[in-house]
Amino acid sequence: MALKCLTRTLRSLTLSQPALLSSQAAAQPKLGAQVPSAISLYRGFLTTASLEQNRTLWKNMDKYTIKPMGMKKTGGRDHTGKIRTRGIGGGHKQKYRWVDFQRLRYEPSKEGRPFEEKVVEVRYDPCRSADIALVAGGNRKRWIIATENMQAGDIIKTSAVIGRMAVSANEGDAYPLGALPVGTLVNNLEIQPGKGSEYIRAAGTSGVLLRKVNGTAIVQLPSKQQVQVLETCIVTVGRVSNIDHNKRIIGKAGRNRWLGIRPSSGLWKRKGGWAGRKIKPLPPMKSYINLPSISAN
Amino acid sequence: MGFIHRYMQGVRQALWLTKSSLIHGLPSHITSPAAVPENQLLNQDERVQNAIKHARFWDTTEPRPKKEKYSNTLLHNLLHLCATLQPTHPAIGRRILAENYSLAASWKRGDDLFQVRGQNGLLHCSMDPLPRVCGETEVLETSDQILESFYPVSPTIDLQQVNVYKEEINCSGFREGYPYPHAHTLYFLETPDSNSKLRPEQFRAKMIMFTFGNALARAHKLYGTQSVLEHPITVQAVGTNGRIFQFLVFQLNTTDLSEDDGIKNQVWLEEDVELYDFAKVRPLIKRKEVKHLEMF
Repeated sequence: MALKCLTRTLRSLTLSQPALLSSQAAAQPKLGAQVPSAISLYRGFLTTASLEQNRTLWKNMDKYTIKPMGMKKTGGRDHTGKIRTRGIGGGHKQKYRWVDFQRLRYEPSKEGRPFEEKVVEVRYDPCRSADIALVAGGNRKRWIIATENMQAGDIIKTSAVIGRMAVSANEGDAYPLGALPVGTLVNNLEIQPGKGSEYIRAAGTSGVLLRKVNGTAIVQLPSKQQVQVLETCIVTVGRVSNIDHNKRIIGKAGRNRWLGIRPSSGLWKRKGGWAGRKIKPLPPMKSYINLPSISAN
Repeated sequence: MGFIHRYMQGVRQALWLTKSSLIHGLPSHITSPAAVPENQLLNQDERVQNAIKHARFWDTTEPRPKKEKYSNTLLHNLLHLCATLQPTHPAIGRRILAENYSLAASWKRGDDLFQVRGQNGLLHCSMDPLPRVCGETEVLETSDQILESFYPVSPTIDLQQVNVYKEEINCSGFREGYPYPHAHTLYFLETPDSNSKLRPEQFRAKMIMFTFGNALARAHKLYGTQSVLEHPITVQAVGTNGRIFQFLVFQLNTTDLSEDDGIKNQVWLEEDVELYDFAKVRPLIKRKEVKHLEMF
């Protein structure tokens, strides 16, 4: 009741506005179009509580920390509360360990120099298929994605220097693409320099450095797609840890439920044109260089 | 697993920060008097057993006393037993217990300024300083020992960075003219806060840092900073969690801590000494037992 009074006053307020507009726009022939839009200017009050409380607000921390954080599960629901992705829900509770994907992150006082870090611990991460490693160097500790043969006590190197000779890289070290020899297995690929790695992070995956062309390098991703990136992008050398991840057998429906995967619909549906084996040529090479000559192609 | 991530290096890091060398086991002139019968109490075993039973079983209206309560009671009972030796050892009378005093000591190590601040649990202070443990020759020998390097981890990892507004703060917790100015023994109990529980390695590192802080505050007052001491200052410490004891003797030989070489300070550490194996309550048989008391 009070709500309706409020909405009525609000409507009257908004309707008073086009009176001003019409006097100013009296010379303009668009007067007729103003009045219906004045009614559509009015909006009602939102009476439901905020639906934002289930979103990723738990992730808003400014300072990096290695302590595991409690995580809120979404259940496949988006900000409106409806299911956007089917088949997600339940599963064991997980604590989020903040992995630092930007491998070349200097300490505040030691910019610009290659540095080394010591692997303290390699452990299982419930949030991803790969294992994570706690590395410590200088005055800080951080989590990174572990590579295949990484063990506690190893020393790994991170460098941004591109020399004339290619570096003979050890597994686990991080170098720019321009410094590595062609044909090395790489992971944690950055598309744009300094952005942090977004590709090749899953368990057992690795990309191959195919060739280096003036200031760029071409990497083959695990899906056989080829990607051209600037040679100053940092990658780590080797395969990602937990290589037998694709060979595991789930064994029972319950194990899938523990992983947070809900059962798919049991209704039999005829398969359409999407099913069956496809043999297609590779998609064209994707390039992330933003040079004017390339975008003209 | 749990929290291995905090204060990783423990005792080794504390040794680097205080520029000390570690010797396992207490010095002989401290352990040998314990076996001499004149230094022992009457009915020592029985009285110590009673002290343990009081702390672990009798001191409460609830079924079992809590850990922070019984470790505190046990420590005070044992201190009382030692104090009963006063008729034969008059030096005990020149000591007094002090609780909850604030310690502040700061020193420069390389480019960085380090501080020890805090409120110690319990301190025995005395009118006379403790005699030095090590002779001159052994002190000079320590200058040949090299401090451990933690490369690539810096030794200042996991330390809290704070802004310092007054440099060179050194306060031993007591004002001038206090009749018992020399720190004799510190006693450390476990903190009752379950969030900041320290593992044994970190507990020992905390003992080393606070003992060093006390010795340094005294040295700064007597001799000033940045010098090698001709009369080294010795401070002792005992830490316990109610059952397991750690003993520590620290001898401060030098306050010149800016470089990594030169004369080092010395730490004698006796780790994980059990006073008794377990103290169980068995309500079925209506008997309370204390098993296997260790003589000391």
